[in-house]
Amino acid sequence: MAKDGNEDEMVGYRQQPGKLPFAKPGSGGKNQFSRPTDQNMIPESQGGNLAQPWGSHRHDKLVSGQIIGKPTALVDGKWKVTGQAQYGDDIRLPGELIGRIIRSPHHYARVLSIDFSKALELPGVVAIATGADAKNKFGVLPVTKDEHAMAVEKVRHVGDLVACVAAEDEATAREAERLIEVEYEILDSIHDMRDGLQDSENPIHDRGKYHIGDANVQKRVFQEFGDVDGIEENAIASHKENWLFAGVNHAATEPHAVVANWDPSGRLTLYTPQQVPHYVHRALADVLEIPMHQINVYRTFVGGGFGGKSDPFPHEMCSAILARKSGRPVRITFDREEVYWINRGRHPSRIEMNLHADEQGRICGIETDALIDGGGFASFGHVTTYYNGVLHTAPYEIGAFHYTGARVWTNKPASGAMRGHGAVNSRCAVETGLDDLAEQLSVDPIDLRLANLLPPHSATITGFRVTSIGMRECLERVKQESGWDKKFRKMPLGKGIGIGCGFFISGSGLPIHWDPNKFPHATVHLKIDMDGGVTVHTGAADIGQGSDTVVAQSVAEVLGLPLDLIRIRSKESDTSPVDLGSYSSRVTFMNANAAISAAMQIRDELLDATVEITGAEREKLVIGDRRIFAKNDPAVGVSYLEALHKAQEDRGALVASGAYRTPPMGRTHKGAAAGLAPAYSFSAYVAEVSVDVETGQTKVDKVWAAHDCGKALNPLAVKGQIIGSCHMGMGQVLSEEMKYGRSGHLMNPDLLDYKIPSVHEMPDVFPIIVESNDPEGPFGAKEAGEGPLLPILPAVCNAVYDAIGVRTAELPITPDRLLRLIERKCKAEGVDDPLELPSPRLEHSELQSVLSNRATEHAKRDLDRRHNENREPYHNGALFGLDPTTPPDEVDEKWAVNVIPSEEYLADPRLAGSAWKHTERRHRGDS
Amino acid sequence: MRMPPFQLHTPTSLEEAILIAGDLTSKKQEFDWVAGGTDLLPNYKWHLNVKANVISLAKISELTELNETHIGAMVRLQDLVQSSATHPVLAKAADTVASIMVRRSGTVGGNICLDTRCYWFNQTEQWRESIDWCHKCDCGTEADCRVIPNQNTLCVATYQADLAPVLMCLGATIHLAGPNGTRSMALSEFFQLDGMTRNVLQTGELVTHLTLPEDVAEWQGDYQKLRQRESWDFPEAGVAALWKKNGSAKPSQLRVATTGLESIPMLHTTQVAECLDGWSGAESINELSESIRKAVKPVQNTWFSPSYRRKMVKVLTRRACAGLMEGGS
Amino acid sequence: MVQHRLPMLPSAGEVSWVASVNGVKKQLNIENNAILLDVLRDQAGSLGTKRGCDMGTCGCCSVLINGEPRLSCLTLAAEAEGCEITTVEGLADGHHLHPIQEMFAECGGSQCGFCTPGFLVVASALLEENPSPSDEEIKSAIEGNLCRCTGYQQIVDSVRAASDILTSGESIEDSTSPKNDPHPGFSGE
Repeated sequence: MAKDGNEDEMVGYRQQPGKLPFAKPGSGGKNQFSRPTDQNMIPESQGGNLAQPWGSHRHDKLVSGQIIGKPTALVDGKWKVTGQAQYGDDIRLPGELIGRIIRSPHHYARVLSIDFSKALELPGVVAIATGADAKNKFGVLPVTKDEHAMAVEKVRHVGDLVACVAAEDEATAREAERLIEVEYEILDSIHDMRDGLQDSENPIHDRGKYHIGDANVQKRVFQEFGDVDGIEENAIASHKENWLFAGVNHAATEPHAVVANWDPSGRLTLYTPQQVPHYVHRALADVLEIPMHQINVYRTFVGGGFGGKSDPFPHEMCSAILARKSGRPVRITFDREEVYWINRGRHPSRIEMNLHADEQGRICGIETDALIDGGGFASFGHVTTYYNGVLHTAPYEIGAFHYTGARVWTNKPASGAMRGHGAVNSRCAVETGLDDLAEQLSVDPIDLRLANLLPPHSATITGFRVTSIGMRECLERVKQESGWDKKFRKMPLGKGIGIGCGFFISGSGLPIHWDPNKFPHATVHLKIDMDGGVTVHTGAADIGQGSDTVVAQSVAEVLGLPLDLIRIRSKESDTSPVDLGSYSSRVTFMNANAAISAAMQIRDELLDATVEITGAEREKLVIGDRRIFAKNDPAVGVSYLEALHKAQEDRGALVASGAYRTPPMGRTHKGAAAGLAPAYSFSAYVAEVSVDVETGQTKVDKVWAAHDCGKALNPLAVKGQIIGSCHMGMGQVLSEEMKYGRSGHLMNPDLLDYKIPSVHEMPDVFPIIVESNDPEGPFGAKEAGEGPLLPILPAVCNAVYDAIGVRTAELPITPDRLLRLIERKCKAEGVDDPLELPSPRLEHSELQSVLSNRATEHAKRDLDRRHNENREPYHNGALFGLDPTTPPDEVDEKWAVNVIPSEEYLADPRLAGSAWKHTERRHRGDS
Repeated sequence: MRMPPFQLHTPTSLEEAILIAGDLTSKKQEFDWVAGGTDLLPNYKWHLNVKANVISLAKISELTELNETHIGAMVRLQDLVQSSATHPVLAKAADTVASIMVRRSGTVGGNICLDTRCYWFNQTEQWRESIDWCHKCDCGTEADCRVIPNQNTLCVATYQADLAPVLMCLGATIHLAGPNGTRSMALSEFFQLDGMTRNVLQTGELVTHLTLPEDVAEWQGDYQKLRQRESWDFPEAGVAALWKKNGSAKPSQLRVATTGLESIPMLHTTQVAECLDGWSGAESINELSESIRKAVKPVQNTWFSPSYRRKMVKVLTRRACAGLMEGGS
Repeated sequence: MVQHRLPMLPSAGEVSWVASVNGVKKQLNIENNAILLDVLRDQAGSLGTKRGCDMGTCGCCSVLINGEPRLSCLTLAAEAEGCEITTVEGLADGHHLHPIQEMFAECGGSQCGFCTPGFLVVASALLEENPSPSDEEIKSAIEGNLCRCTGYQQIVDSVRAASDILTSGESIEDSTSPKNDPHPGFSGE
């Protein structure tokens, strides 16, 4: 410290112990005075003006009117706009080496030998590693660890990792890559997911006694709820479609990159743009055979995730291994094609969707069969296999539900979790199916949906506990704002409008790695010292969605502080409490809840201190902007800093830890936990499209996008998520595709040939936020990151039908595919010129009024259930005459839950269902 | 950093450039020209036909002249789009090239000389290794062609540049310079049907400029481009139609050219002549569209299927000629 | 399998290179065939300039060369010799952000932020040339930049908002000016 200048002050400070050199009240800072509370932000339940049509919330009393619900710039935004945000490849440590990965040129082969002697002789090459350096398996799910850092025995797809090298500079590393000689024995590869169901001489993985026959079936699911055999006899309309969905990739603009550094004390710091740092942390410990506390995982800024950066990755292991061998930091950055080789994108899928409606326009049955192509590794696939079924058991009440799902290994880059995980494709099939049912029944498809919705606070057919539901409002809003009634089935040829809905989890109920009763889902620590700034430690990974911001907002709101007093530390595992990471749309729900819980503890301490200073009644105190005061006499109060210093008197810095765990939920059948969430989001989109019938080109013109996110804590970010989801979903429905050539090679692993929509393809999106005020969500919030992607696909498909009368069952709807369907339609209609095709038209049947009336009744029912705290339970099935208060399987034998297929079913299984024909080896008696 | 090593030469005059080219040729050193770099540099990063030397034309200001009848090879595409001297159909075609960012670097000469493209060729070195190489770029590997299998002499990579069809229809003459002097020819004669060589440029020769006939302003027409997205994408098919009228409904002259369908752009003179011979208005345009559809032979090596691209040629031709049916002369 | 890969060594050899990067004259020894993006990131210290695809599609690497937006991944460094290069780090005036930076942060133009530097330099050049562009003009200007998060809509909003600021002559506050006082006075209520 400088000896001159402030010396007098410092002497003064020493002479007056206990007196702090803080500015006098009102003397410092830019905003001297606290702002009056904005009554429009205080809920009705607390005497404010904020309307609460969905009732009060347990967090209402925490609202200080500060920031929740205000469009808020991201707290890390300034780093991003100045170029100061450090992403994976921006971490440059002194003495770094550049790592490169040697990859398989074969689809499927045994690695016989690796000769890296020539590479080692190259000046500048410092370390080389192969599969022999890391024998332990890892994988994101503990039940399916099937990955190695580098090939141990076999390579499973073109681009699979074989070895890695670290060198002084990139040119040397790339040259070394060239000099490493690998000898392979080529094995017969499989590329068509249907082949994965067959027995194979060399299954891509060997799961020992748990292996399913000799096939490449990684996971299979069978689920039946209700009287599945009775579906068809009740049905007066049935929709049957076989869908083929191409695989799509997250294509985040930032390619994967990682830096590993072992510090002099022998601890590893891994810098990586990760959505789920904690799982990498665990996997690193397994692979490197060191305890977890010897590792610090540092999450850099993440240049887009969307699920593509949520697995522990082999290249992360490679950098750590190379850095250990070389004694130097090692940076590995992917070229774009490597991003496609690590993939983890949405599964290519074949989905058979059968929907049935009865004479009252009820959905009396859904039968789904989903075969999904997992590529070379398991990744999140175990969960994806369930999600393809269970995530379309809402928002509609269903008579009976049958689902068979199977995930197979093929010799392609691994599929995994991508925004809308497992729900997107089957949702598209359901929603286009409903459109077809409405067509068959001659009713309006929106009214068909409105008359079949589950009410709030109900249980789905699979036993998911659903709390708040804003589905009805979403549908009504888009219907009104899009001018639906004037447009649907009324526009000229080539112009169309379509509806699609969505339903998604807000956080997975089951933490993958532990019992939720023994360890929380999310934990947040707060630390406040004399300066008044609040340091928030959270492990939630901000991947651009704004999770840091939402946690900061939550703390700021509870403590009545402007956002600039909150600082988030979320990057390092050394300083952040364990968090499950950014997937399954869990962060806002779980992390903000944990943050609120921690902030409430601080708030209590501040209130106690205020009571001590002012003698005011604790019950009458409220928190405003940086002030705590008596509600009935605002002059009685203290500043935030005064209260804080009082609270600090005997203990120094205030610290608090808040945690969140899900309540007990769901049923007990096998797989019951998949799809369980503490809350669910709902959405309805209307898309308006133009189709050029001569070229098959589709342009989305407008999208009205209503999403029930519970409560928009940050409406700016929620809208951003909705619009961004439209963009990404539009890519999948119209142009994006991981295109595999006839030799099984991925033909378009680059951003020119992988067709992400440009600004010119982007329609005008009108985001509509619906706030159903979830009772358990933080301030009522649920999720907005993934659910909004679901409805855009079917909305566009249905709009294309409205425009030209053609239903597609293959995505993406590229112009060449659509033109083939148009030509077929022309043939069927007997017209030569597609411009003469008839446009679909609708004459309502008698059922229309039945549906409208039921929708009106149900609207009242829902309103009542929303507000009535003493509501009775409502189980799916009530619409079909069952007792709503008891789970149907407890009262009706026909409703029994089946998770194992019957002999009868196996005699004639559907495609994915045929995976059940194999016997698990442990039950086979031959191994 | 994925750029393989090469020596970059940066001459500041055409004369110097040709001297360097002559010098390298005499030393038996291979080289490429680079203009805007938007074609060559991505190809180099993927190690496609990399040469030991590259001669940059960026600093040769004499190649950037632009007026109604003269287009320097180094005129940038975005300058072509924005210049009032540019024929409107040419400006339209230029405006559809890739994205505005690419057009700020890409040049007219580079666009004319664009390397042919193929899904089995425009891939990384690692990727090509996985298909056991491609004969267009990995010569000496005896690799077979993946599009037309069981042979490695014929290359059917596709020419996917937008300017050539319009310039051909406008009757452009292309001017070349090299160590042996200069020569000129009709643009349609510049291309030669071979996916590897694609044009008549000799070693050491380069395109200096294009000239357009004096009556260029009297030509009207349109350029229609097929692509998945309105930014970035190369033409999956492109049709230019330009005509001159002298009062009657029937055009006195009509030219139609296509791109994105074969290894070179094609001027469809026979089909157009037949059309004009038996002129009967809209019906003739339909017949012309059909005869051009029959004349083109795309292969399976780009984003859309060849059958679709072929069908679209008919639609694009009809649309490009739509203005012909509208009144006026 | 026969080894047909192209040698990456020996390197092309170094040459001296001079350019102004964000107003500072840089003299560097660069490889003769160096790509501008590599020079900026690895030698000139501009890690704000991002490598997304490295092939000219995504636009993350956009920088201004003599005021004009260019793809640095497809520019030979030699061709930018002697030029004024502006990267995202050069847009702000000290701690006064350029309105386009401020508005990208304020209006949701930046989510994950990786494409942001490219969009910012492109948009700043647009506003320099055309201070009040129409939505169509904004879209045409950014058609060479890929964003995977925002769906572009809030990017267009941000450019429009920046245009409003520029045309109104408002100034952006210095980000180092004092923030909120945790100990506010009482008389303000």
